Amino acid sequence: MGIEGYVIVSAVLFVLGVTGVLVRRSPLVMLMAIELMWGAAALLVLTFGRLFGYMDAHVFAFMIIVVGAAEAAIGLALIVQMFRTKEAADVDDVRALRG
Amino acid sequence: MDYSWLLILIPALPLAGAAAVAAGTQTRINRRFLVGLACAVVAASFVAAVLVRLQYNQVAPDGYLWLPLWSWGVDGVGLGLLGDAVSTWFALVVTGVGFLIHLYSVAYMADDPGYARFFAKLNFFIFAMSLLVLADGFVGMLIGWANVGVASYLLIGFWHQRPAAAAAARKAYWVNAVGEVGLILGFIILLTHFGSLRFVDVLPQAWSAPAGVLNAAALLMLVGAVAKSAQLPLHVWLPDAMQGPTPVSALIHAATMVTAGVYLVVRAHPIFAAAPWGSAAVAAVGIASVLFGALAALAQTDIKRVLAFSTMSQVGYMMLGAGVGAYAAALFHFATHAFFKALLFLGAGVVIHRFGDNQDIRRMGGLGRYQPFTYWTFLIATLALVGLPPLSGFYSKDTIVVSALMAGHPWLWLLAVAGAGLTAFYMLRLFCLVFTGEPPQDLAREELEHPVPAVKVIALAALAVLSVIGGFFAMPDLSGVPGAAAGAAAGAHGAAEVALGGLVVTERQASLLTMGLLLLVSIIGGGLAIRRFGPGRQPVQETAYARAALRGFYFDDLYRAAFVRPLAAVADWVGGIVDPHVIDGAVNGVARLAATLATGVRRLHPGYLRRYALALMAAVAIVLLYFVLVI
Repeated sequence: MGIEGYVIVSAVLFVLGVTGVLVRRSPLVMLMAIELMWGAAALLVLTFGRLFGYMDAHVFAFMIIVVGAAEAAIGLALIVQMFRTKEAADVDDVRALRG
Repeated sequence: MDYSWLLILIPALPLAGAAAVAAGTQTRINRRFLVGLACAVVAASFVAAVLVRLQYNQVAPDGYLWLPLWSWGVDGVGLGLLGDAVSTWFALVVTGVGFLIHLYSVAYMADDPGYARFFAKLNFFIFAMSLLVLADGFVGMLIGWANVGVASYLLIGFWHQRPAAAAAARKAYWVNAVGEVGLILGFIILLTHFGSLRFVDVLPQAWSAPAGVLNAAALLMLVGAVAKSAQLPLHVWLPDAMQGPTPVSALIHAATMVTAGVYLVVRAHPIFAAAPWGSAAVAAVGIASVLFGALAALAQTDIKRVLAFSTMSQVGYMMLGAGVGAYAAALFHFATHAFFKALLFLGAGVVIHRFGDNQDIRRMGGLGRYQPFTYWTFLIATLALVGLPPLSGFYSKDTIVVSALMAGHPWLWLLAVAGAGLTAFYMLRLFCLVFTGEPPQDLAREELEHPVPAVKVIALAALAVLSVIGGFFAMPDLSGVPGAAAGAAAGAHGAAEVALGGLVVTERQASLLTMGLLLLVSIIGGGLAIRRFGPGRQPVQETAYARAALRGFYFDDLYRAAFVRPLAAVADWVGGIVDPHVIDGAVNGVARLAATLATGVRRLHPGYLRRYALALMAAVAIVLLYFVLVI
């Protein structure tokens, strides 16, 4: 199993995440899909770090996890507020800031 | 011991006076004190002018007094004061006559609410005029020139509540602005060619310049002179300027400022004499103005407008003198004319007050019986203007006319003689209409007999004496003036004898012939006027000629049609169409364009979160494809 496997898995994960964001309407599910994309990116960083003997990649992977967690926290806070104000479970209903 | 520093006092004192009096009008300081102060500074300025003249006499005829003040870091462009034959002569008349008119105004303007304001402006004028004549270069002269224009504007429009006065002030300012453009262009030509604007640098070298430069400079400067001196065809502001108070008409629009053009020609005479077209143009303008002014004065019905057109005509004589090379005679006539024309205007001021602020000479008459003092002074001034020997006007005017013949211009000479006949006619017509015959029925006797105040009597008497003895003063000797031409230094006449079509005339013959002829035409003209308008006259009829003369022979209408209306139409077009539609359209168009673009861009932000995500992904995909396929 060479490097391609890792890359393919990362690509599949990423596409799954993109598709999730684009087709699901629930904000919670969209957050999870974004989390999938973070994972794909982290996997790819580690893969190439290993390939080039660049061990700092581990640090970057942790960095990605941390940023993803922070983003999820903000996202969840936003979702909670959304439910409180609009009782909406659909991102398409939240359009108050449209141009 | 060098007394050149005295020069600075002549313009500085009136300037300080103007500032002090103007500031004083805003306080509770007694008006009479302010007026006294204004008169005192002009008197002091006159004393300074006398001292300067005495000092100049020490170094005459080849030296002159010079007081450099400062330069603007460019060679030859600076400000200084020069005391020579021409400038001291002018300074004496300006401050002397100016002081007498200040004195007269003390009584004349006493009831006016702007009493002190009037004197502040009058002081300012004396400052500007003395700077104009004392400057040592064209730069200082231009500063004075522009400032007398401002003073003239302020004083013509002194009663600014009257629309007619405000319009007359604007008109005078505009016409002189046209002249100043010509003047400045002429100075620029001189500066580029000679590299300096000081008289001592430019004028002695004038003869060496190419004809083209001289012609351009002379003719452009003449435009300025024609505007300031109200010569044809830029004379239209002078009759209207009579809207100002009468002392202003006497001081500015008769005695001093309108002769600034003559001063310019005399001061720059090396240029005018060397320029092939220069002197001829000056003489042509002069004689045209002599005749035009006289013909217009014949039929005027407003006492001050008669005198205004007469001023134009007399300044024309000075221009004629300067044009035929009789510079000293032109200066001489300037001084004598200042005396008797100021006297005529001040007399007219008394007359206007006595007839209940009426200026229409058709509704005057018989004042001589009630006002003997005014009668005699006015008569002296009238006869001096007509040129009756031995009064002052006879010497100065005859010298100019003789000079025209001796310079070899028999036609100019003939026309000048004819102008003298017309002068006698219109002056005696005016005199008879005012002082002889019967007063109008509706006027009270005591109003006519009202005594003339003492200060006015002093001013009138002093000017009357000067009008009588002015002719006995020595003619100014111009040999020490920078760049003086040999012909100019010789006094009045260029040549000792002149050949006219095979006939050789000596100077003595020419003088006698001219004097005789002038006396003859004056007596004929005056006699006709006395017969027609003297005691037992018929009422003044309104002929077609009179109608034309009253309208200034349609010059105003011509300018209105040729310049004012087209410019007003252009202004209306710019203000009514270009500005609201083109300019505002462009400005609002920019705003509308931004708004339209913004409306388009709005559509990119529908608020659907997933559409943003799609756009993002699509972009990533496109970039990816680009990298894969192209690179």
